[in-house]
Amino acid sequence: MKDILLKTENLSKSFSNGGTLQHVLKNIDLQLYRGDFTVIMGASGAGKSTLLYALSGMDTPSLGRITFGEEVISDLSSDGLAVFRRRHCGFVFQQIYLIDGMSVMDNVLSAGLLVNKDKKALLRRAGELFRAVGISEETQKKFPAQLSGGEAQRVGIVRGLINSPEILFADEPTGALNSKTGLDVLDTLTKFNGQGQSVVMVTHDMRSARRGNRILYLKDGAILGECELGKYVHGDRERHERLSTFLTEMGW
Amino acid sequence: MKKRGFLFGLLLVFAVEIAALIAFAAGDVGTSQDTVAVNEVMQSVRRDWKRMEDHENKTDLAYAVLDAEGRVLFRTEPGVSESVNAAVAHRDTILDLEAEGLVQGKVIIYNEEGWRLQEQKQRTVVVLAAAVLVQWIICIGYAFYLNRTVIRPFEKLKGFARRVAGGNLDIPLEMDRQNLFGAFTESFDIMRSELRKARIAEAEANASKKELVAKLSHDIKTPVASIKAASEVGAALAKEERTRENYTQIIRKADQINTLVTNLFTATLEELQQLLVAPADMESRELEEMLESSDYLHRASVSAIPECLLYADHLRLQQVFDNIFANSYKYGNTDIAVAAYREKDRLAISIEDFGGGVPEEELPLLKEKFKRGSNAEAIEGAGLGLYISDYFMKKMKGDLVVENGENGLRVTVFISLSGTI
Amino acid sequence: MKKSFLIVRANLCRAKGQTASIAALMLIASLMLNLWLMLSMDYKRNFERYHDKLNAEHVTLALSSDDAGMRDFVSETLEKDARTEEYCIDDIMFMVGSFEYNGGEVNTEFVIFDRQTALNRPVGKIEIVEDSEFTSGIYLPMLYGADHHISVGETIDIMIGSSTVSYTVCGFLNSVMAGSHNCSMSALVLTEDKYKELEEKGFAPKATLASVRISDKTQCEEFEAALKNTVSARYPSVRALSNAYTQVSSSRYISQMICSGIVSAMAFFVILIALVVISSSVINYIQENMKNLGVLKAVGYRSRQIISALLVQFLGITLLTAAAGAGLSYCLFPAVNRMMIAQTGIPYQVRFLPVPFLLTMAVTSGAVALVVWRSARRIRRIEPITALRQGVQTHSFRRNRVPLETTRAPLQIALALKNTFSGIKQNIIVCITMLVLSLVVVFSALLIENMLMDIQPFLNLIVGETADSCINVNSEIEREFLQMMDEEDCVQKVYLYNTVEVRQVGGTALYANLSEDFSKVNNQQLCIEGRYPRYDNEMAVAAKYAKENDLKVGDEITLTAEGKEAEYLISGLTQMSNNLGKDCLLTRSGYERMGALQNASYYINMEEGTDIDAFHAEVSEAFGSDVNASINVLEVINGTAAVYVSLMKIIVTAILILGAAVTAFVLYLLVRTMLNSKKRDYGIMKALGFTTGQLILQTAASFMPAVILSAAAGLAVSALIINPLTAVFLNGIGIVKCTFTVPVGLITAAGIGIVVFTFAAVCLLSLRIRKIAPRTLLAGE
Repeated sequence: MKDILLKTENLSKSFSNGGTLQHVLKNIDLQLYRGDFTVIMGASGAGKSTLLYALSGMDTPSLGRITFGEEVISDLSSDGLAVFRRRHCGFVFQQIYLIDGMSVMDNVLSAGLLVNKDKKALLRRAGELFRAVGISEETQKKFPAQLSGGEAQRVGIVRGLINSPEILFADEPTGALNSKTGLDVLDTLTKFNGQGQSVVMVTHDMRSARRGNRILYLKDGAILGECELGKYVHGDRERHERLSTFLTEMGW
Repeated sequence: MKKRGFLFGLLLVFAVEIAALIAFAAGDVGTSQDTVAVNEVMQSVRRDWKRMEDHENKTDLAYAVLDAEGRVLFRTEPGVSESVNAAVAHRDTILDLEAEGLVQGKVIIYNEEGWRLQEQKQRTVVVLAAAVLVQWIICIGYAFYLNRTVIRPFEKLKGFARRVAGGNLDIPLEMDRQNLFGAFTESFDIMRSELRKARIAEAEANASKKELVAKLSHDIKTPVASIKAASEVGAALAKEERTRENYTQIIRKADQINTLVTNLFTATLEELQQLLVAPADMESRELEEMLESSDYLHRASVSAIPECLLYADHLRLQQVFDNIFANSYKYGNTDIAVAAYREKDRLAISIEDFGGGVPEEELPLLKEKFKRGSNAEAIEGAGLGLYISDYFMKKMKGDLVVENGENGLRVTVFISLSGTI
Repeated sequence: MKKSFLIVRANLCRAKGQTASIAALMLIASLMLNLWLMLSMDYKRNFERYHDKLNAEHVTLALSSDDAGMRDFVSETLEKDARTEEYCIDDIMFMVGSFEYNGGEVNTEFVIFDRQTALNRPVGKIEIVEDSEFTSGIYLPMLYGADHHISVGETIDIMIGSSTVSYTVCGFLNSVMAGSHNCSMSALVLTEDKYKELEEKGFAPKATLASVRISDKTQCEEFEAALKNTVSARYPSVRALSNAYTQVSSSRYISQMICSGIVSAMAFFVILIALVVISSSVINYIQENMKNLGVLKAVGYRSRQIISALLVQFLGITLLTAAAGAGLSYCLFPAVNRMMIAQTGIPYQVRFLPVPFLLTMAVTSGAVALVVWRSARRIRRIEPITALRQGVQTHSFRRNRVPLETTRAPLQIALALKNTFSGIKQNIIVCITMLVLSLVVVFSALLIENMLMDIQPFLNLIVGETADSCINVNSEIEREFLQMMDEEDCVQKVYLYNTVEVRQVGGTALYANLSEDFSKVNNQQLCIEGRYPRYDNEMAVAAKYAKENDLKVGDEITLTAEGKEAEYLISGLTQMSNNLGKDCLLTRSGYERMGALQNASYYINMEEGTDIDAFHAEVSEAFGSDVNASINVLEVINGTAAVYVSLMKIIVTAILILGAAVTAFVLYLLVRTMLNSKKRDYGIMKALGFTTGQLILQTAASFMPAVILSAAAGLAVSALIINPLTAVFLNGIGIVKCTFTVPVGLITAAGIGIVVFTFAAVCLLSLRIRKIAPRTLLAGE
């Protein structure tokens, strides 16, 4: 039995759109497990990102409960959610969202210092992460505008992981990158997952989806089906077949 | 009319406020000393000069009387200036008291400007505050009044209109002829009852037509069967090829008539099933409102409804509840217990009355059309309610279960959760 | 034009709050501006108008004798002088006296007229501004009736010389040259019966009043001195008192001058702030709407149309609010007017003044147009294609300020500092605002400390010498008087401080303050350069007079009095304002080189709590008619200073409120701009787990360096320059150098107050951060 990290019951999310309610997520009952690389797939408009943000406490659900360990995070205030996010979650965004006015290092540290008051340990951790993603010391002093897309996203990953979060949430991390740099970023994520980091990633790209060991397929705000692939092994043909079959089944 | 009262009240308060403001603005009138009173003080002090202990203040002024050495001989009240210096500091009026051509002492008339101003200020503040408060109260009161007389009736009207549009003409519109819309709402209800009469008449006409058709079909089928039987006999006995062919022809045509008649019969029955059901996502909390709206006699006690997203047609679901409650009112006429719970992928709403239920053998029949319970003879109705409700629920991928509960007849509506089908 | 209006409407709808605060700033600015223009352009001209209306004199000379020969001599002298245009000589009574007023005492020279004479003088006519049915009594200058300190029907005790008479107040009069104690003589008009009665009682000598109009009024002071000297030389025993147009017109308008000075400074600052704000909001608008502007250009709008739309937008607001502000100033003016009348004593009718109004409109709209045009010019440089592609140009990052890696500051503070360094324009606006605010605060603190809490410094500056009591005795009994003073327990200190009139040969008349030993006088701050005179050939002269006559310490001038001349060495420069800078100090022995004192005024410091009036009575009893006058100085001062104190109270309150309001507006605009431009950053930070509170504190803290530094600098600089600055304001009344104590404690407290106030204000204003949700940021792109 895997260790349950995050659990949702009846999770629903509606948006008011010009007077009419639009229901984006519908009664989602979902469990996320520690150490998994969970991939959320689906056509655009299926509610993937909404689900990701609801899971990560970025947004509050309209209905239902989200439990993280013992804590019911769907009941938290916006400040409570902020504290939850900084303690337990890391984020990697499609648009990367580095703060323009700060250097690479400061972008990472501004997130890190929120939680970790021990600056030495933090700098050590940052150094390790930067090495792991291949960002040189030179680059650490640059500003976001001076980075290439791939570099920026790797910085984004470092920022997401600086506080050793329980879950790293990635929203289409390769969406704004070309295929070469996209692969680098995926490799980085896979590597960290291999070291035990739980990752939840939203994507609509099969090449990215292949990296996950558990694929959830979202359609019209509900989980249509899921597929267990097992640990990623590079160049595994059969894994690819199975994913394709699953996706075809789902109507991809 | 209350509106006029409201306007008048507001205007009055406004006028009071303006007046208070003007009074405050022009408030420095009356700051001059009342010279007559001062004179009276002087005269009376002079008269009582020898026996100041008997002196009595006959004016509104506060003052002190000093002798030439500055000793206080008399004071109207504690707190007045009791020396020339204090008087000067307080901007009091100091008057010499002369007698026999000599200055005998001084009279210090207390300057009441300060506290008079203070008093006026306080008064103005109190008046303004009171006026604002009154304004508020009037506004809030009027808001409540408007809410009660305009908004709530309209809300009621909205639900009513929706139900009428949905075809439910059984539930009367509660009305209050006292309110602004009394006549208006009454005409609505008249419209509803007329529509209902027409609908019933139409239904009756339809039903009798259908019955006629069913009867005719049956009646036609019998002679056709006889014709067919006779023709078969004829065909068996026919000697000539030609004659047998004729018989075969008759048999074929009789079969055709039979099929046509059966089709006609079936079509009539199917006609009822042309009603459109369009389910969509809705939040479970809307159910509360729907139940409340159906339960217009307020007999139900509703348990908490679990929060979830449902897949249902709001209008049709409302009709289902309307029917269930109407049935309960008609046959049970007791209190109603409503419970909601989640059952796997569905939300169950069980509605149970305290009427003791129906005989077990009648249960399966209740959902069929034109079927009514044994206790229904005396009550008007078509016997279609539960049949249609069941049909609606099935169309919504839900279900309707009728059973005998602990206290009475229990109807459970199963609504499927959104995202699970 | 129609197209431009479309843009204007869209702009206005988008930035309602900004528009409102710019409107509010412009409203205040135009209010102040119009008020100032009205005060400076018309208020003083009112004096001129009344001067003409009453055919008032340019030089007044009162002589304490009705000798016909002397009168002939005077008219002869006047007629001989070519400058004389018109004159009239009338019977009056003339005496020093006092009465109670506004909690104090007015002590001045009374020029007492018969009603008939007063109203029918061809020159220097007196008009009755408030009359009543009382037929027997007195008319007082209207100054004393302002604010109902004294009202019609009251009985008033007037001390004339050393006798008291009571009159019913029949009404109030307006006299241009003798309308208040500021004119050095106050006219009193008695009804015929009372005049006769007083004449018979003989409390005041029958006297002569000569009122002269001269052809060139700029010559009035020379004329006055010459006339007085000629007469005094011929009739040395006649007491003479005179005043001249220039002196009166400036002394009656002191408060108007102070008030319009302050108002003009405030108007200037508020307009400056409004312009900075408008300029920054235009620039901001261009930055934020780079893409939209690109689109507009792409669809064929010309730069001129876009700029003219902005011009229309801001000019529209400005014109509307400036008109409203000017209108508002008319609502405010009666209150200001009432305040002024209590000092000028000349009636003023508030009416619409087109010139100040048009000037206000022109100045505000012109300035706004210029600023908008200057800041909007950059629209021309926008190329549609680049604007569409790039949108807002990203900042250039040359240095990483406050690197988190190495800084010791806590995270919140470090991030706030980063913010601070990234917004230079914002810092500049904060600095300007804070400088203005601190000047306002220091000025208020100065007034509070030196006028409202302890009035002595102000009195030292304005009145000159003050003590508890002033007793004037004939010189025959001086020795006995001093001996008695020595024996009195309640007397702390007694010293001679007597004012006589002397004249510089070839110059004008000067009031000479005599003392035996100036080290004994109470106000030791009189001398602003050099030292007090010690020997009989030394003198100190008023700095203003010295400047006007090109005199400096060490110069020798010749004075004349009682027909004799003597030379004096200037040992110091003084400043006093009660004679508008026509003073000098002489030792007694120095004066006696020219003439002997007929009588001597002694200033006396009393023990605390002494009944001064009783003391005076005792002295009068002891010396009888040899005591000419005894003045309860504090009461006199209370009477005159109360006007200034209340004026200052209002000014302090008004400028503090205004300062706070303006600061709040500016902060509002800055915070708004900051929140708009940093919306994305705030969204990201919220997503990363920063709470709303942290972000609000960060925002507020990012303002603090600029606020603290500029407030500290502003307060320090203001504290240093406030005395000279005040001196500039008061220059007109003879003040060259102010020596007010600068209340360091109060200013420090105020500085802390400013910082706390801005911090709290920014926190409140940035509550909008609450509404920035990470979700909206993420959904927005």
